Amino acid sequence: MAATFFGEVVRAPCRAGTEDEEEEEEEGRRETPEDGEVRQQLARKREVRLLRRQTKTTLEVSLLEKYPCSKFIIAIGNNAVAFLSSFIMNSGVWEEVGCAKLWNEWCRTVDTTHLSPTEAFCVFYHLKSNPSVFGSCPRKNMQVTILTCRHVTDYKTSESTSSLHTPFLKALKTQNFREPPCCSLLEQPNIVHDLPAAVLSYCQVWKISAILYLCYTDVMKLDLITVEAFKPVLSSRSLKSLVKNIPQSTEILKKLMTTNEIQSNIYT
Amino acid sequence: MASQYDRAITVFSPDGHLFQVEYAQEAVKKGSTVVGIRGTDIVVLGVEKKSVAKLQDERIVRKICALDDHVCMAFAGLTADARVVISRARVECQSHKLTVEDPVTVEYITRFIATLKQKYTQSNGRRPFGISALIVGFDDDGIPRLYQTDPSGTYHAWKANAIGRSAKTVQEFLEKNYTEDAIANDSEAIKLAIRALLEVVQSGGKNIELAIIRRKQPLKMFSAKEIELQVNETGKKKEEAEKKKSKKTA
Repeated sequence: MAATFFGEVVRAPCRAGTEDEEEEEEEGRRETPEDGEVRQQLARKREVRLLRRQTKTTLEVSLLEKYPCSKFIIAIGNNAVAFLSSFIMNSGVWEEVGCAKLWNEWCRTVDTTHLSPTEAFCVFYHLKSNPSVFGSCPRKNMQVTILTCRHVTDYKTSESTSSLHTPFLKALKTQNFREPPCCSLLEQPNIVHDLPAAVLSYCQVWKISAILYLCYTDVMKLDLITVEAFKPVLSSRSLKSLVKNIPQSTEILKKLMTTNEIQSNIYT
Repeated sequence: MASQYDRAITVFSPDGHLFQVEYAQEAVKKGSTVVGIRGTDIVVLGVEKKSVAKLQDERIVRKICALDDHVCMAFAGLTADARVVISRARVECQSHKLTVEDPVTVEYITRFIATLKQKYTQSNGRRPFGISALIVGFDDDGIPRLYQTDPSGTYHAWKANAIGRSAKTVQEFLEKNYTEDAIANDSEAIKLAIRALLEVVQSGGKNIELAIIRRKQPLKMFSAKEIELQVNETGKKKEEAEKKKSKKTA
């Protein structure tokens, strides 16, 4: 391109290429059969699969629809999962119904056809004594509770982050959620990201009663204090009936912590 | 706003933040907890020992280091940065002794470390040190001292403080429990440090390291058995206190 003295931009002649360049570009853009095959293979690999872990058989969605559901609790992130495992799932007998596995190009696993059971990304459980607590399909009278964590540096506030008492809980709910939340609501301009946001948006669109409890913490890996910050949630109407033995839960939580991790050598 | 002004250490943001220094303080929170208590005749440093890999030699991982016979420090944050700061501080302690023929005061060496840290917040091509330190010791006048430095290069004297992961929780505990009775004697001060650490240490006494300095005595590191004893005694006292409480309410 070149600009003339009159300010107009003209296409400068280029000795390197000919006017046939545009046609060549179009040919390049047309897909070859190999490209199509690769694209189809990738699409097959990226399919979300629902299956039973023990038998490795596919779980048909219609089978899941057999289970009526009144409460759906989803925990995202290791602290939220630890809270759910210690405080909710230690009461009563929870039966694993299935799991959802997926793969995309960012996964480190090379073998996509035989993902091992330890790589399950989402496991579904239902309470044997009260099978209405579970489900994956939206139902009108269902209540959804989402638990997740976020680093406190993502929390936008006029106060300095060093004066915040981390960890702390914030809530965000759909219009249909009528109960008072167990903590203060998430203020603007903070927003929720990723899967919790997707679930909450879905519930808002389909008019499902849902609440998201977001724990802002400065320790993103498994941490006792962060997990205990979720405790106010146990007083909510939907979860109160599921909690039996809090001291036992605290012991289970401590065991979860000790089976944990070798820390990085960079920080001491 | 932050994304435009947080890449260079020598650039202030329009609202007066030095974001790199603030981010360095986040690095400190990634280190395990350190608590320091200044008693009447004793200073105590307690740290949460981090778990090491199976094949790693545990002895090399040290959070509490002596800077001189009468001063020691514990840090939280980037291990390599701590090694550099400790090494410079130790050299300075000996250099001071040779030049002035007196050992450093705790405040002097704290000011030296803080000045070093501040220099790294004001040079281009460098980044701040990602550590906070608790420096304890006794001066010649026999008064116990506890100082804290942070990545910005500020330092303050404290009666008791905590740094590292979950430091806020420990600080709140100390604010409630640091009383004249609690530091009445040496063993009470040690128990206070252990109780403060147990608020956040998830696996009990085996992951705690403790060091004390008494007046005119060198640094003493507690062995695992001694720590276990102290933790058990602290546990017993807690149970007794809880029993008394439940009797009162009944």
